[in-house]
Amino acid sequence: MIVAAAVLLLEVSPDAAVSAAGAPPQAESASEQSLAIIVNLSNPVDNLSLQDLRTVFLGERSHWPNGRRITLVMLEPGQPERKAVLRTIYHMNESDFSRHFLQGLFTGEVFVSPKTLANPVGVRKFVFNVPGAIGYVRAADVDGTVKVIRVDSHLPDDKDYSLRIQAHPAK
Amino acid sequence: MRERISRVARGGAHSSIQLVDRFLHEVARYSSTLLLLMVFCVETGVVIFVIRDLRAADREVQRIYAGSVLGLRGIGELQYQAQETRRSTLYALTTNDSNLQVEYADQSRAADRRVTDGIADYLAHARMPREVDVGKRLQRDWPAYLKVRDEVLASILEGSIKEAVDFDLAGGVPSFDRVRQDLEDVKRLYDEQASQRLAIVDEASRRSAGRLVGVLCFTLLFASVSVWAIQRAKMLSALKLAKLQMDFVASVSHELRTPLAVICASAQNIADGVVEEKEQLAKYGSVIRNHTRQLTELVNQILLFASAKEGRTHYVLRPLQIPQIIEAVLRNTRETVEQAGFTIDPHLEPGLPEIVGDFSALTQCLQNLVGNAVKYGGSHPHIIIRAFVEGADHQRGEEIRISVEDRGIGIDSSEIPHIFDPFYRSPVVTAAQIHGTGLGLPLAKNIAEAMGGRLTVVSKLGVGSVFTLHLPTRKKSSQHMATVGSDSLTRP
Repeated sequence: MIVAAAVLLLEVSPDAAVSAAGAPPQAESASEQSLAIIVNLSNPVDNLSLQDLRTVFLGERSHWPNGRRITLVMLEPGQPERKAVLRTIYHMNESDFSRHFLQGLFTGEVFVSPKTLANPVGVRKFVFNVPGAIGYVRAADVDGTVKVIRVDSHLPDDKDYSLRIQAHPAK
Repeated sequence: MRERISRVARGGAHSSIQLVDRFLHEVARYSSTLLLLMVFCVETGVVIFVIRDLRAADREVQRIYAGSVLGLRGIGELQYQAQETRRSTLYALTTNDSNLQVEYADQSRAADRRVTDGIADYLAHARMPREVDVGKRLQRDWPAYLKVRDEVLASILEGSIKEAVDFDLAGGVPSFDRVRQDLEDVKRLYDEQASQRLAIVDEASRRSAGRLVGVLCFTLLFASVSVWAIQRAKMLSALKLAKLQMDFVASVSHELRTPLAVICASAQNIADGVVEEKEQLAKYGSVIRNHTRQLTELVNQILLFASAKEGRTHYVLRPLQIPQIIEAVLRNTRETVEQAGFTIDPHLEPGLPEIVGDFSALTQCLQNLVGNAVKYGGSHPHIIIRAFVEGADHQRGEEIRISVEDRGIGIDSSEIPHIFDPFYRSPVVTAAQIHGTGLGLPLAKNIAEAMGGRLTVVSKLGVGSVFTLHLPTRKKSSQHMATVGSDSLTRP
């Protein structure tokens, strides 16, 4: 039980875990592990709450405020970024995720079917080409072709940013 | 009056022909060199013209290549990239794989960047108003197509294939047609420019060919005229020589016949016993001796001239005193001078330096001058021989001048250039039946030049003549001889 709690703590906030171990917090290292949520440059949205982000990623919202259709972009299964998204946004595993979309599309509760791309570069290019696209990449993979939105008013560089990739896979 | 004018005109034409003939006579001496030089100059001119034209044509062709062929290639590349932009977009329609679709989108965007850069480059180099117009049209139509393309791509990536096709049919096809039309216009413009430049090159080439033909014709004409001129000059020269030789033969015959007739008559009288008295016999003997001497001198002069011409004359050079030479001249010519009733007044500057020369040759030279002074002395039977040193001429240095002056008939200024020509006799003296061979002065001149000196004349018609023999002093002669060689004192 104690071990499980320690692992959970590490997953949610690795910096906190490192601080607990007595080492000083390393902002750069944390930034490299942060997961940036990216949208097209023409997208007017700059900030989303984690809850709104979850709604968007679950496909329960179909359009952006500017009227553009939302297109969800995911990386292929098995990639650390996807795992982090499933964990921190969806709170699901792969099978729950698949089931959610199959079921949601069938029932009509889900409006958006996610596009799957092989690598972060593909994700970035997709978001660049599609005005309504939203996806995720490591903060280090972000360039000027896409826009990073704040999550709960925090950017990936911020200490309190909530979306981070697990440094060491859980045992 | 008309006859007079005609005579004057004939006279003018005749003098022009004389001028041409005199010019040709001068030219004939350097004919081969002159012809070669002229042909070389003309050929060089032709080559320069041809090279210049070829280089100009080459530059023009290069400009055409750079301006049109490369331009056309650039436009071709632009057309290809524009097609590639559209092709890649449409390829994305053929697959559901988002990764492939992204790759096609990437290819389309890479191609469209190249087109955009190409249009900017075209506009930067556009000079003519039509080029600028087409460039601006392209600059407007291409982004318009790209806007539609972006929508199509977005729809494809979103998975809305129908929407993508609708977008493309509604906006993509017409806007791309406009771009294609613009590119065709650019290409047509390049074609037109290429045609114009080709016409310019063609014109330049024709002009070059015409110029080449013209210059070659000129060369041919010039060469023909040159050959004609040289042939004519040679013919004139040969004719002149033949005439001189004929005159010489006639003159010599006359010169021989007169003393021979006298000798023959005198001898006949003696043989017939007509001459009985001793005094008369002595007189006849004297006549025969004088005419024999005259004949001998004549023959000697001819032989001397012939040997000088053939280069067989050998002079024995040695230091000589001027008074000795003058004395010998006076002695040798005394009888002739006295018989003609002339007097010779020698004026010798005291302390004259020695000269180096051939005694008998110099004596002969001066005798010829004295003989001429007697022959052409006219009614003033007085001859002055002067000998003096002249050192003011820095170019020639110190020299001794021996002049023979008479106050006779003089020489016309037009005759002076010819009096040293072999066999030349002035028409005036021929008409006056003054005997001579035309060899005395040329022989004197040859001797003067062989001694390192020269012979000059100052004369005025009706006033008299001064012939001056210029001879270098011994010091200068020695220097001259030292440079020639010290092995012998003889000079051919």
